Amino acid sequence: MARWLLYALGGGMGHFTRSCALARVALKRGHRVSLVTNSDFAPDMPLEAMLGPGGRVYRLSAALDKDAVREAVEALLEGVRPDLLVVDTFPRGIAGELAPLLPELRMGKVLVHRDLNPTYVERFDIASAVEAFDLLLVPGEDAAFAGHPRAVRTAPWVLLGQDEWMSRAQARAWFGLESGDARPLFAVMGSGNAVEVAEAGDIAERLQARLGEAAAVRWLVPPGPWSPEHPHARRRKRKPGRVPPREVWPALAVMPGVDVLVGAGGYNTVQEARVTGTPLVALARERRYDRQALRLRPEELAHTGEELVARAAALLDSGAPRGRSPATYAGGAKDAVALIERIVLSA
Amino acid sequence: MNAETCQVATGFLFTRECGLPAEALCPNCGRRVCDAHLTSTEEGALVCTACAGTATRETEDDASYYYDDYGYYGGPNSFWGQRTSRDPHDFTEADGGSLRHEGDAAFEEDMVGS
Repeated sequence: MARWLLYALGGGMGHFTRSCALARVALKRGHRVSLVTNSDFAPDMPLEAMLGPGGRVYRLSAALDKDAVREAVEALLEGVRPDLLVVDTFPRGIAGELAPLLPELRMGKVLVHRDLNPTYVERFDIASAVEAFDLLLVPGEDAAFAGHPRAVRTAPWVLLGQDEWMSRAQARAWFGLESGDARPLFAVMGSGNAVEVAEAGDIAERLQARLGEAAAVRWLVPPGPWSPEHPHARRRKRKPGRVPPREVWPALAVMPGVDVLVGAGGYNTVQEARVTGTPLVALARERRYDRQALRLRPEELAHTGEELVARAAALLDSGAPRGRSPATYAGGAKDAVALIERIVLSA
Repeated sequence: MNAETCQVATGFLFTRECGLPAEALCPNCGRRVCDAHLTSTEEGALVCTACAGTATRETEDDASYYYDDYGYYGGPNSFWGQRTSRDPHDFTEADGGSLRHEGDAAFEEDMVGS
């Protein structure tokens, strides 16, 4: 079995969550997997527990500058000595540090190829950078080099298989709804960064005020100081009736209990809504590399907070919460591991 | 509008007046300011955080600083905590627009880009 190093540098939760999805499958196949992240969410995330035995996580400080990131990545490659390097999103590395290294590295090289800002693609000659990879995996959505001869599309990668999701009844109970409570449940997902997690709370409160007793609204937060379960959380006095934060990660586990998901257009939020058939209304948040608006369907996209709340509320009026789609195939990461084993590790 | 309450705008997605009891008037913009939104400039003048934020941006050329207290570790500037002082890197209403329209000059300079 091979030693894998998953390069999941970058902010937010998307890079390490997508990489964890791959890592979990690889570990079950008997590979030894290390994952490196510098996300400012990572210190609070139970990544080792999610990966299980054999998985190793290296958390670089989000405060490391470009030179420090370069040094850390070089040290990791030297220390781990992987047979396989899997790079999420950034073919040149988050600091451009991989570009000079990749041609010399004697190991299998795989790029997880997600959407990238076309200005970056052009200015930094990403077309040349992707040539260093043996395989480009395109997980569930279009990307600049999806037509590359070594690119293979897969279904989306999500962290949990369908057998790991709660049932609808279990999830509604987890959300605190009584078994006789038939109200639809709206979940507002906090993600992206600290400001956006807090804003999700504002959205939840506005939505609850708008919907009143016709629906239940929950504010979901990842582990972090905004969570009442966090050891360093500051207690914030909330007025009676306001929506408290509820910690969950990955939210996919409880998605079967959600009738309308409200959030942003990041990869995980959108793909988790898609595979569970959950109606989604979302803002396209500004990102340096990712273009969230392209990921969202026109009927899902809201341009302002007010529009977001109005669109979500309109779903209640239209009866959409009762019409969620059936779940779809959630095994993209499993297929990706099979492709890596066949195309790269067997070469 | 309440004549007794702070007029400094808060929030990025839903901008609104703070609404806490006002303690002073900002000598720069004339808005009523609560204790939480009152801060001192390097010269020692007491102004509202919005004016202080704008002044800081005008004199700060280094756009690559790391925002080292982002409310993550429950320090005094945690957004869950009661603010008793103002970090010069705090977001203000003046930042909302600029955050949404960042340029692309920082490709491969932003270590937590996504």
